[in-house]
Amino acid sequence: MPVLEVRNLKKSFDSTEVIHDISFSMEEGETVTIIGSSGSGKTTLLRCLNFLERPDGGMIKVKDDVLFDNDVIKSLSVESVRKKRLHFGLVFQSFNLFPQYTALENVMLAPRLMQKENGGAEGEIKERAEELLRQMGLEDRMGNYPHELSGGQQQRVAIARALALNPDILCFDEPTSALDPELTGEVLRVIKDLSTRHMTMIIVTHEMDFAHDVSDKVIFMDGGVIVEEGTPQEVIDAPKNERTIQFLSNYSKRNG
Amino acid sequence: MFLTVTWTLLGGFLQTLRLFALTLLFALPLGLVISFGSMSRLRIIKTPVRFVIWIIRGTPLMLQLLVIYYGPGIILHSNVWGSGDGGRFVAALVAFVINYSCYFSEIYRGGIQSIPVGQYEAGQVLGMTKHQIFYKIVLLQVIKRIVPPISNEVITLVKDTSLARVIAVYEIIWEGQSFIKGAGIIWPLFYTGVFYLVFSGLLTVLFGRIEKKLSYFR
Repeated sequence: MPVLEVRNLKKSFDSTEVIHDISFSMEEGETVTIIGSSGSGKTTLLRCLNFLERPDGGMIKVKDDVLFDNDVIKSLSVESVRKKRLHFGLVFQSFNLFPQYTALENVMLAPRLMQKENGGAEGEIKERAEELLRQMGLEDRMGNYPHELSGGQQQRVAIARALALNPDILCFDEPTSALDPELTGEVLRVIKDLSTRHMTMIIVTHEMDFAHDVSDKVIFMDGGVIVEEGTPQEVIDAPKNERTIQFLSNYSKRNG
Repeated sequence: MFLTVTWTLLGGFLQTLRLFALTLLFALPLGLVISFGSMSRLRIIKTPVRFVIWIIRGTPLMLQLLVIYYGPGIILHSNVWGSGDGGRFVAALVAFVINYSCYFSEIYRGGIQSIPVGQYEAGQVLGMTKHQIFYKIVLLQVIKRIVPPISNEVITLVKDTSLARVIAVYEIIWEGQSFIKGAGIIWPLFYTGVFYLVFSGLLTVLFGRIEKKLSYFR
């Protein structure tokens, strides 16, 4: 059974259709990367999955749980959206760490607030947060505030923060696009590490080598539709569609 | 003579302080309410609120004091402010609160709107409620950003209280000036400046401390 199933998803802003009828599914433990030029709808797709945008049509299902079905659910209550989005974690391009909290506090904040509602032990939350930060290679940075960290370190804190709530699927929205080139490696490494640990992930990225390296499946989007999808060997090494070929050749020209 | 003057000026300064403290007490929270109004998505709320802010910020506080003190008597033919010193003080306070809450509201609005939308979204995807996002994430960042402009406004208020004399609230400058007519001496007037300087100096130090306290994050 697929862990995520998206069917006929649509999203327009005013009269511009940004996502036009997207369907795909993924299995537990898979890493899916979405590639495509700016404006192809990749980011909007992630934002729809995380309920930062409300789709105009289609269906989103995680495991047995239908999170969104435009034909059935006409309005979503704030409270139900809050629960539904917990199936997903999202790592932003611009990190969006909370500046007034240390790295450790950033990771602990949401679990602590959850615990107030659901119960649970403070000690466990701290242990788990520390473990996540260690896993990100930040054991000596836990007490630092975001402005004291490099971009790469901030993004790793953000990854730990997203993992702290144990999402079923972790989404990355161009996680290295805001980083200096020499800092992208450390972030890609931890994402790759998560991939080998079979974290289910959707990654929007412009790093083609990384996508090739880490993905079980690559999706190429253009103009709000999925143009081509398959293994990295199929989509990146031997693209069939004219638009994919065009995009990849532009990419390799740019990157010499 | 020096002691008499000091004693009289202290009495006036007490009135100044009362006006200052009570204005802050009411205007700081009221400003927040007004700022929510000016940011409302509903046009029937936003438009009138912004119109009032425009009027208040666009006309002299002196004029507002006179209108608020004399206006009700002329229009309603009744003295809503009560008689004597107390009534004039209340009228002055009302004018100051209205004026300053409008200024504060614009500072709050600027502070709240300067928080990047990513902060809200990060809270949302972590399953936080609107309340939690405001109190746990946004509020402290807003406070940090508004402390410098608020401090400016508060120090201006210290000096603006002297305007209350146009409706005969006996604040410190009124008292200082009375020595010119009464005793033919001018130095008490300069002496009042010392009170202002010391008090605004204290406030500057206080706000400096708050700013420093919040400097641990960016």
